[in-house]
Amino acid sequence: MAYSDKVLDHYQNPRNVGSLDKNDPNVGTGVVGAPECGDVMKLQIRVDDSGKIVDAKFKTYGCGSAIASSSLATEWLKGTSVDTAAQIKNTQIVEELSLPPVKIHCSVLAEDAIKAAIEDWRKKRAASQATGAGAGTEVRS
Amino acid sequence: MIHVPAPDPFTVFGLPRTLDVDEKALEARYLRLSRECHPDLHRSADTGDCVAVLQRSAEINDAWKILRDPWQRARALMELLSPGVLDRNKKLDPAFLGEALELAEEVAFADQTAAGNLRVRLQAAITLDWTAVGKALGAGDFDAAAMCFHASHYHRKALQDLDRKS
Repeated sequence: MAYSDKVLDHYQNPRNVGSLDKNDPNVGTGVVGAPECGDVMKLQIRVDDSGKIVDAKFKTYGCGSAIASSSLATEWLKGTSVDTAAQIKNTQIVEELSLPPVKIHCSVLAEDAIKAAIEDWRKKRAASQATGAGAGTEVRS
Repeated sequence: MIHVPAPDPFTVFGLPRTLDVDEKALEARYLRLSRECHPDLHRSADTGDCVAVLQRSAEINDAWKILRDPWQRARALMELLSPGVLDRNKKLDPAFLGEALELAEEVAFADQTAAGNLRVRLQAAITLDWTAVGKALGAGDFDAAAMCFHASHYHRKALQDLDRKS
């Protein structure tokens, strides 16, 4: 199976590889897996007070399409609002990367990772608001 | 959906549906079954019989491929006992997946000494996974068995990657 040029580009020069501090209250972490292929994808976002995603990082263990899908996702996430990010659909990733049908599940994994990261961040924020979010309040994930 | 051929491999071999099998006895049975319906021994039979023998022979080979590999056998067994169970339990604990990711990194960056230690650790993890699958199946908890099976895939894949490196 031939990979598209865009997949190859992301595979060879993945954007935003790395980790953010998962204990940081402004960081949301999503870790999802596709056990049938043994893939794992970790996607993290850092969100500022206005709800804008100021940074995104990923680490993926999987095939070229899984790496490209998560790499592309971090590019799209950076600079966008959490609410807009929550609307990202796997079909947009499929289209952008010209993924063949057998690799669609890689884009689904990326969408799941985005949603899980946002969910994690939302939970942390709700918890910090519930505790008053006063100065010095420690928020644990 | 996970595909298990019909008739299922346990039926083809006339074995009870169990996770653990005596591998020597399994191979002996495979050889006997293969001999019994070897196409060359049925040349004089009429066409209808020939087709039946060929089909039976193919079924035996397919079943053998599944039964001889412990994890393929486990997979087939789970699907037979609870169809769709592997698909229904694909969501693994994020904490476990995080560990799987770290393991993959360790494998990727392991030098020779680290690789040796890692291999021992992974083999131990896979043995534990196997025991956990057996225990869950024994308790009739197919969902738990499926999750252990999926978790084990990460360990097996890491070991494969490690072996490929050396």
